[in-house]
Amino acid sequence: MAEFFQALFQHSFLQHALLAGLLVSVSCGIVGTYVVTRRITYLAGGIAHCVLGGMGFARYMQVVHEWTFFTPMFGAMLAALLAAFIIGWVNMKAKERIDTVISAFWGMGMAIGILFIAKTPGYGEDLMSYLFGNILLVSQKDLLAIAGLDLFIAATALLFHKQFVAVCFDEEFARLRGINTQFFYFLMLALTALTVVLMVSIVGIVMVIVMLTLPAAIAGRFCLRMGSMMALAAGLCAILTFGGLAISYDPDLPAGATIIVLTGVAYLISLLFKKR
Amino acid sequence: MNNPIQIDNLNFSYGPVSVLENAQLSLGEREFVSIVGPNGGGKTTLLKIILGLLEPQSGTVSVFGNVPAAGRKWIGYLAQYANLDAQFPVTALDVVLMGRLGKTRHLGFYTKTDRAAAHAMLERVGLGDLHKRPLNALSGGQKQRVLIARALVSEPKLLLLDEPTSSLDDYVEQELFDLLRELNKELTIVVVSHDVAYVSRYVEKVICVNRAVHTHPVCEIDENLIHDMYGAHVHAVRHDQEHG
Repeated sequence: MAEFFQALFQHSFLQHALLAGLLVSVSCGIVGTYVVTRRITYLAGGIAHCVLGGMGFARYMQVVHEWTFFTPMFGAMLAALLAAFIIGWVNMKAKERIDTVISAFWGMGMAIGILFIAKTPGYGEDLMSYLFGNILLVSQKDLLAIAGLDLFIAATALLFHKQFVAVCFDEEFARLRGINTQFFYFLMLALTALTVVLMVSIVGIVMVIVMLTLPAAIAGRFCLRMGSMMALAAGLCAILTFGGLAISYDPDLPAGATIIVLTGVAYLISLLFKKR
Repeated sequence: MNNPIQIDNLNFSYGPVSVLENAQLSLGEREFVSIVGPNGGGKTTLLKIILGLLEPQSGTVSVFGNVPAAGRKWIGYLAQYANLDAQFPVTALDVVLMGRLGKTRHLGFYTKTDRAAAHAMLERVGLGDLHKRPLNALSGGQKQRVLIARALVSEPKLLLLDEPTSSLDDYVEQELFDLLRELNKELTIVVVSHDVAYVSRYVEKVICVNRAVHTHPVCEIDENLIHDMYGAHVHAVRHDQEHG
């Protein structure tokens, strides 16, 4: 671990990784609290897996058609927002079982991504980093994008805190009090989609759902209010990301997977403590 | 001032299933009435139409002279208690504050005025010192009072309660009705209940909903009426508790 701290001062890629982790933790705590209390874990998982379609498509366009501006992160954002909107809309309008609808998008999103990546010249190392994260490859430009999205998510959550709490707690009552609950439901899904995109660069598509639920779930065991739950979840997310990164550095473990295992262990330990 | 509720020739059906037929209902200010009827008879449907959550196929509904979606801002509503997440991280005060939505500003947190109103309302329902208590640490009766405070904090002129006593024991139930009687000095109250005999001790009128909607003064409630409404299966009516 000592080696990690030494390296931290020397290498800018580690500093970038750490900064990215800390920034993303803010969104992770806020949105994770919505996901857990509103019980849309599976929906968030579906959005996360659809992201592969967007990333694969973007990478393909970049390599094959030289759309250089169309970065995988940009593609991820489009895919996540689109998936959130479509799944939310189908859920609201069609009388289909929501988990069936999500499963359809979950699988299709991944399949489309794999098809595009298969047709993209190269060695397919992209696929691995999309699926399992590549926190050590966060560039300065990525950091700016992450900070921008982070700010947007935090500001939106702060400005509409009371509406979000009401919609999560009792949607029908909120509607009767004149709140446009459909708008806030979609806004919540959009924030979830953006957070998924942020997390993907750190832990990858497959494991996003862990960071989106477990820190908030741990916080929920000890917090009495939404606001404090968000703050504690964000703090936990930061500590776990930092911890996972530090532990993984010396033995050269994959950072994303280490963070996930550490988070899972923290959650299991939290179950041993008495609930509030 | 227009009547709190005025319903004329209302028809509602879910697909081919007719739920309310040619319903008629007129409710004056500061009345205290109960909506009774068998399960599946259309009580909750009627309530949802009044709240503008369901659109009737025909007929007119007016809430304080407006269409329901506009008039409902003067309604304080208490839904059936079962559908709230007991684990949700909110305190009693947080829940009551939600009733200020629509009255408070759009952006940012609740104002000082909102908080003062919420505290006052918790005081009013006898939970003034429990404002920091998490919702899941309150008893059934206390939770119900918190939800009533939430319904009242928007300063409604009509209070609608859907089966408010279904999860409460008799003693707490009586406390709740005493509170409602007190509140009735200022506002119109409608209580949905499946227990005709019990509510008839408190209310002035009983609205029987079983596809048709009929309004009866309490003095007309007798075995024949109950028999007509519920069919032959109901024998035990708690006359022994009447007019205690």
